[in-house]
Amino acid sequence: MLEIDKVSIIYDSSQLFANLSLTIKHHEIVALTGPSGSGKTTLLRCIAGLESISTGSIHLNGQDITNQPAHQRNIGMVFQDNQLFPHLTVGQNVAYSLKIKRTPKKITDNKVREVLSLVGLNHLIDRTVTNLSGGEAKRVAVARALTAEPQVLLLDEPLTGLDIELHGRLLEDLGKLLRTRGTTVLHVTHDKAEASAIADRVLDLRQLIS
Amino acid sequence: MTTIYNRSQAIYWLAIAPIVAIVIFVIAPVFNIFVSSLQFESLNLLRTEAIRNVVWFTTWQSLVSTAFTLVIALPLAFVTANFKFKAQRLTTSLISLPFILPSIVVGVAFLQILPNNFHRTAFALILAHTYFNFGFTSRLITARWLQIDPHLDDAARTLGASPFKLFITLTMPLLSKAITNAALIVFTLCFTSYGVVRVLGGPSRSTLETEIYFRAMQLGDVSGAMLLSALQIVIIVALFIVTTRASRNKFKQSTKPTISRQKSLQTRKQKVIAATIISIATLFAIVPVLAIALKSINTNSRFTTTAWRTVFTSPEITQSITKTLIYAVIAMSLATLLGLLSACSVAYSNNNFHFISGLTTLPIVISAVSIGLGIIITFDTQPFDWRGAQFMLPLAHALVALPLAMRVILPVLQAIPDSLRQASSVLGASPRQTWLNIDFKIIRRAAISAAAISATVSIGEFGASSFLARRGAETLPIMISRLLSRPGDSLQSQAFALATLLAIFSLIVIFVIDSFANTKSARDSHA
Repeated sequence: MLEIDKVSIIYDSSQLFANLSLTIKHHEIVALTGPSGSGKTTLLRCIAGLESISTGSIHLNGQDITNQPAHQRNIGMVFQDNQLFPHLTVGQNVAYSLKIKRTPKKITDNKVREVLSLVGLNHLIDRTVTNLSGGEAKRVAVARALTAEPQVLLLDEPLTGLDIELHGRLLEDLGKLLRTRGTTVLHVTHDKAEASAIADRVLDLRQLIS
Repeated sequence: MTTIYNRSQAIYWLAIAPIVAIVIFVIAPVFNIFVSSLQFESLNLLRTEAIRNVVWFTTWQSLVSTAFTLVIALPLAFVTANFKFKAQRLTTSLISLPFILPSIVVGVAFLQILPNNFHRTAFALILAHTYFNFGFTSRLITARWLQIDPHLDDAARTLGASPFKLFITLTMPLLSKAITNAALIVFTLCFTSYGVVRVLGGPSRSTLETEIYFRAMQLGDVSGAMLLSALQIVIIVALFIVTTRASRNKFKQSTKPTISRQKSLQTRKQKVIAATIISIATLFAIVPVLAIALKSINTNSRFTTTAWRTVFTSPEITQSITKTLIYAVIAMSLATLLGLLSACSVAYSNNNFHFISGLTTLPIVISAVSIGLGIIITFDTQPFDWRGAQFMLPLAHALVALPLAMRVILPVLQAIPDSLRQASSVLGASPRQTWLNIDFKIIRRAAISAAAISATVSIGEFGASSFLARRGAETLPIMISRLLSRPGDSLQSQAFALATLLAIFSLIVIFVIDSFANTKSARDSHA
């Protein structure tokens, strides 16, 4: 369970929001909407440990992770622009978190194939990531985040910039995949239809501020 | 790159002048060196222990100098690429100073700051080479580091990478090409270093470059010198080929990130690390220059301005200053013009003239000493006996400066979107008017920077000048070398005063270039 309690964030010397509270239950998919510039991405970055909060606390499964560095939180994130590592192949990108943990090669290979088949990209395992289409790159980014088996997965407008047809197809695939795996998800989007299609609960960021 | 100029025949004419200049004054002399050296029986020279020792010393001191340079440049690049701090512009300019200092000034500076028992040692050479290269290496690596999107770091962190693992698994692989290229350039510069070795190494610490000079100009063994020159060229060319193939792009470089990597220093640990690295680097860059300036006002252990007064009153020295400035103006004009023509022919043609980029690299690969030697052995017969010709020295300087001048202008020219030219065309401008009003206006700052760098190269050039400068027409570096070789503290102080003059000139140039660069980036960020 992810608990965000009375969090305030100051960004570039001005307060982005104050006293924001949110709880996400185990296996729950929550979508967070709000206008551009309202601080949705910054909130995700604070939960991931990439930015620090000014006041308040963040707990994950009862443990206070407020001051824990990002690499120790086990919170995954899919970035709006994917951020695939350009020097690695599709397979190596997906295996990255396992390599960091020095997982044996055989286990790593099996895991990578398993996750890539979930997103339907097993045939691209040796492809360089700079040659992928927008939809393929997005699937690799999701696969890479899932391989780390995060306790919470943060999705930062993951389907922005895709054409309508691809957006619809990926949204359906992503929803199925996350539900099948029982991943706890906080999905940020400005698209209310997308939010309703994928989430158990849809919240507006402004409603969370007390 | 496809431009509106592609169809114009004029771009073919642009390429003629640089091609002719390089073919006649670089390729022909080098070809002559190879042909002549193979005709002599001096191939046995390569089997002598003395020459084997020279080759070995040249190689290992270059390797160690390169390693030392990287050890200092990498932490510096880490700070300048990742943090914003006070006086960043000033610091960046100061750490760039050593690379633009004439090599003889660097040699003179370390002669002054190192204790006597370190003179003529490998350590002195390695330290001076490290000094000469660390700032420029750091700038090369910083430029690439700034291109790495900071969100890639974020992605790695959310996947469990600690700062150390992030550096090893992400930053280093993405920087590897920049580091390899920088290391190759540093190794080449150390391998072909001449001024520093002449001043600091002496006869006991000879490298291939000084051995070429020693054999040609002092022993009269021109055939031996040519053979060593040919050997040096083969080694450097082979190294360039091997390294270029090894570091060939394995993946596309990422595009310019949308947000800056440089963040304000926040934690105490960050502040301490950054302050320590920046202070050490800045002190390392300026202490040798200050030491020269101090020595120039200190003769026989007392403060005096005699050396400076002599510099501006001695007919021999004032004549040298005048000659140096005249040569610099000619070399600057030639190098900038040839650099501009080369850059335009590469940027505007559809791959037809990309070989010019390689051609203009030749003066880097072939050292200035080899160019000087090649010219005196090639143009030694009437009606082409140009060994004593006044135009030869500034021409040689221009060829040495050409690779830098061209590489300052080319990226700016290539970055101009053709849509600007198309907009100009549809508004009724002819190609000539478009070039003058769009291209030229955008690249003129780069052209001024190229001119400033070319003038600096000419003023400090020592390798080719050692072969081509004639008595009565010595340039400042030759005059410094001559003054240092004479006994007497007052003559030494005059040499240091002249070295200080060269350093001041270099300092002005680096500030001019950096202020242009910063003005441009400020304008870009407001655009």
